[in-house]
Amino acid sequence: MAETPLSTTRRGLLAGAAALAAAPGLALAATEQTTSAGQRHVTDAPIADTTNSRDMVSPHGAHQAGIVTPRPANGIVAAFHVLANDAADLEALFRRLTERIVFLTHGGPVPDADPKLPPPDSGILGPVVPPDALTITVGLGSSLFEDRPWLAALKPRVLQRMVKFHNDALIADLCHGDLMLQFCANTQDTCVHALRDVVKNLPGQMVLKWAQAGNVPVLPQRPGAAPESARNLLGFRDGSANPDSADEELMRRLVWVGPESDEPDWATGGSYAAVRIIRNLVERWDRTPLGEQERIMGRMKMSGAPLDQPDATEAQVPDFATDPDGTRTPLDAHIRLANPRTPATEANLILRRPFNYVNGVLKNGQLDQGLLFIAWQADLDRGFITVQKRLDKEPLEEYIRPVGGGYFFALPGFADGDYVGSTLIAAISPTSQTTSSQPVSSDPAPDPGTKP
Amino acid sequence: MRLMTFAAAGALLAAQAAHAQEATLDLVEPISEYKIYVSENVDTLVKNTTEFVAAVKAGDVEKAKSLFAPTRLNYEAIEPIAELFSDLDVSIDSRADDYEKAEADPAFPGFHRIEYGLWEKNSTEGLDPVADKLLADVQDLQGRIESLTFPPEVVVGGAAVLMEEVAATKISGEEDRYSHTDLWDFRGNFDGAQKIVELMRPLVIDRDPDFIKTVDENFATIDTILSKYQSGEGYVTYDNLTEADRVVLAAAVNTLAEDLSTLRGKLGLD
Repeated sequence: MAETPLSTTRRGLLAGAAALAAAPGLALAATEQTTSAGQRHVTDAPIADTTNSRDMVSPHGAHQAGIVTPRPANGIVAAFHVLANDAADLEALFRRLTERIVFLTHGGPVPDADPKLPPPDSGILGPVVPPDALTITVGLGSSLFEDRPWLAALKPRVLQRMVKFHNDALIADLCHGDLMLQFCANTQDTCVHALRDVVKNLPGQMVLKWAQAGNVPVLPQRPGAAPESARNLLGFRDGSANPDSADEELMRRLVWVGPESDEPDWATGGSYAAVRIIRNLVERWDRTPLGEQERIMGRMKMSGAPLDQPDATEAQVPDFATDPDGTRTPLDAHIRLANPRTPATEANLILRRPFNYVNGVLKNGQLDQGLLFIAWQADLDRGFITVQKRLDKEPLEEYIRPVGGGYFFALPGFADGDYVGSTLIAAISPTSQTTSSQPVSSDPAPDPGTKP
Repeated sequence: MRLMTFAAAGALLAAQAAHAQEATLDLVEPISEYKIYVSENVDTLVKNTTEFVAAVKAGDVEKAKSLFAPTRLNYEAIEPIAELFSDLDVSIDSRADDYEKAEADPAFPGFHRIEYGLWEKNSTEGLDPVADKLLADVQDLQGRIESLTFPPEVVVGGAAVLMEEVAATKISGEEDRYSHTDLWDFRGNFDGAQKIVELMRPLVIDRDPDFIKTVDENFATIDTILSKYQSGEGYVTYDNLTEADRVVLAAAVNTLAEDLSTLRGKLGLD
């Protein structure tokens, strides 16, 4: 298996029936395995027949799963309103959510049902829920903090409400949220099952605001071939220049909030998500000459090679420095604006982990398709917001229209026995609460962020 | 209780079956009380509809508008029973989306057709036959309810049905989309559900006090929110509802819908 470029040994995956029987402690150890040689990028296209419904990604660790773990073929982002009047309410919500996350990601038999009562499980995955590489990543929106005086002081430093960029046509019903859940799994049924489970089990704690499902194309096995980035609905490979998610030092700098990050202590180990629902005007794009499409993107459409080295592969790094006038790669090409490849813009790199979406037909009779863009970074200002400002007024804007999304802060990871969000709850000062009916956890949660 | 052995599950089912028989007997009294409640509501509905229809036929737009929401209130309260007569429910309470040509469809009848005329056209023009039919329909409903034997599972399940109504079409404000009087309909649906819980309370309280406590808390939450929007005898229009209050209502409704969906089973009804 080791010589297969696209190994089935994916980071954090425990394949086989053993996964179901594995103790959570064992699963934790598995997440700390290093990436196999084949899995360089989270945006690599999934390969057919290399995944299995028994694949398990542990929800536990210093960081939440679903960020640097490989992107499976399917995902859903769902945003919620949160009902929480005090720290005890929020803790109860986090604990309940953790209980569902732990069950759903490990899988197992659904509870027995009394025929006279509504079944506790939707049943759409049958009597035994398979783990199916499911990850559920919990992020918090700025409104959760800003609307609650007892929580406001703990807001991550650069967490903010998404504001309109130049080309955005934001639809209020598709934007923001107090809490975001990202579901990723091998099959969409598993994501749908998990979303329905959460909605059913936390009806008084969270109210669904918007959700968008997506997927990426699964490629057939081609032994010996290099991994390739999955294509988006513009037909281009998306993720070629993504930072290597297996490079822990790089992730520490670009993706994770660390102890040195000038963020509240509780946030160490977390990450910022920029989620954008970006409609693609696909009919118009498909009526655009190939050469123009490639100049707009800055890459060859089929191979993904940078325009200045058209016979290379997508892995080839473009050389903008020797092309200051944009002769080979236009100065306003998407990849050039997004990542100018200068020392100064190194700090703006983000980890993209998007899905394509297909929603049917718009009122104008055109296809409602696009990109469920999801990008992770240690600093939202330095990352996505800076990159998007550089992209404002790019030629690609004629063919895309961001209509929704929001910014969220993914909570730090949590250990087996702990719950997601425990560091935030522990940081809430009892005196700042309007109704402190319940003391914060007497069993202080381990700080996952103190790990190297 | 995630996993049960077959033996344990079997024993549990047997115990529940025995319990179910008792429960059915216990239901006789609350169901006859519920029938009285429904009869009173439908009597009021007929009386109010008569006045409403008279205002429409007299061309008195303002008076008709003022009578629209209070007239619907009693229908909304007894919807689980009214819906048993699906032909009448369609004729009385269907919405424009149910018709191919929406508002322009000549088949679009009932309360919402009149609502459309009153608010969107500010006129009663062409509404006479619709109004006559509405009154005939509610009178028909009154007669049919009189001779109906109330099925226990419909009565007990009705509490959940009412919450599903609210969750599906009231929270979004699409029920009374021309008049925005949705909060009146909320009130009717909640009253109807609360009445059913009230009548079943003695059968559940000893066995499942936590259930009753949660249900009561959520009804109280809804009362608190609705009372903020009270105006005179009724309610302000739905667009006055703040997003924060809408979310609190939605959460309470969703929780009630989940909890009340177990009420039939708790009483051993299929």
